[in-house]
Amino acid sequence: MEADDFALMERVQAGGAGAFETLVERYQRRLYRLACGYLHDHEDALDAVQETFVRLYLARASYRPNAHPFTWVSRILANHCIDQIRRRRARPEAPLPEAWEERPDASATAPRSPDETPEARQERRELRSRLQGAIDALPRRQREIFMLRHFGEMRLEEIAASLGCALGTVKSSLHRAASAIRDRLERADAAQPAPGKEAS
Amino acid sequence: MNPRPKRPCRAARERLPLRYYGALGPREDADLGRHLEGCAACRLEWERLRAGLDAAAPGTLFPRESEVDWPRFARDAVARARAAEAAGRPGSAADAARPLLARLFPVPVRVALLAATGLAAAMMMLTPRPGPQPGPSLEGMLESAHVIQDRLARRGAERYLTDGRALLVNLVGPAEPCRRADGQFDVTLEKEKSRQLLRRKNLYEGELDTLEDQRLATLMRQLEAVLMQVTSLDDCASARQIHDLREQIEARQILLRIDLVTRELRQGRADVV
Repeated sequence: MEADDFALMERVQAGGAGAFETLVERYQRRLYRLACGYLHDHEDALDAVQETFVRLYLARASYRPNAHPFTWVSRILANHCIDQIRRRRARPEAPLPEAWEERPDASATAPRSPDETPEARQERRELRSRLQGAIDALPRRQREIFMLRHFGEMRLEEIAASLGCALGTVKSSLHRAASAIRDRLERADAAQPAPGKEAS
Repeated sequence: MNPRPKRPCRAARERLPLRYYGALGPREDADLGRHLEGCAACRLEWERLRAGLDAAAPGTLFPRESEVDWPRFARDAVARARAAEAAGRPGSAADAARPLLARLFPVPVRVALLAATGLAAAMMMLTPRPGPQPGPSLEGMLESAHVIQDRLARRGAERYLTDGRALLVNLVGPAEPCRRADGQFDVTLEKEKSRQLLRRKNLYEGELDTLEDQRLATLMRQLEAVLMQVTSLDDCASARQIHDLREQIEARQILLRIDLVTRELRQGRADVV
């Protein structure tokens, strides 16, 4: 997090030239990753980030500097994503994990470089799928804390403030989440059939 | 075999994710580093954790992030936010039923205006006067109300024309290339902004009639025609469509005329002040 985010937000509130543009450029990728974590869809995540910036801009006067601007913005994003997820659930669509699997994006299967072999490409895809599964399997609060720290790059104190919980809770949840992801990845590795052997 | 007792190991392992995320203080980090140097089991735990979290790098999980044209995304987000604010201000559908004063000024400004009016009235009553003063006549009050309404309507017209002009400047300037193969210029944003401006214009229309300014009314009608044409374009407009639009804007000298009229409107306001 950049130290002058508070000053930047103050400039956005005061209508400073180029301030809002700078804020958007600074936060957009972190918000995109968070949105992907919630929505599991590239296009939906981009829409969610755009919508978040619109809401931020319209509500900028209501921001109070007792929270970090990114904390505030990430809450706007989270609320929007949760609304989106509720809407999806209300519609007769496939549940999220299946929907995610049914929509493999092109770049995940496209070669990352001309030298990448089909095997390496497949491994990369599988790793991504395992990681996604590991993150999805976390309890809701742990998953949110992990995403805010890992993708949102938020400080632990800010996460605690954002979620309204104690710093100790954030620390212990992060510990459990990281351990669970590591264990799940290792279990998946162990379950992989060794070369030349059939999976049991 | 690990000679260290179990308890420090448990405490150390709980701090490993915090170490990974740089959330430990320098002293805590140094203590943990010393523990890891002397404890093979915890060191292995640290390596496993680090490998797992490194694997969850954004590049692995979100491969399409690199496909996004982020500078353009930022520009679009900013434009969308500003357009939304413009649409939410006087002229939005929700505002239609509200009185003109309420539509043109946000709540804090209205509160400030009311407070200022009240203060001025109180000052007038409290100020000692040399002789008996007649109260304000009904005609005088109606005239003041008309002047205020006229000024607000002109301000609305000025803003509508200024925003319309900015939109047309975008259209006559270098166009944003379209990603799709069936068109050449991306006018999605301009279309959306045109729709918003037209909605605003519809709401101002009644108020602007009171201006009795034929030149202003004509210019607003012409701008409306161009905006309607913009809204009818494909999202990925062809070079021909853009060319026709530019010709129309240039032939009617719309940009220049908006410039002159808005300058006069501003000047008129300054004169009144």
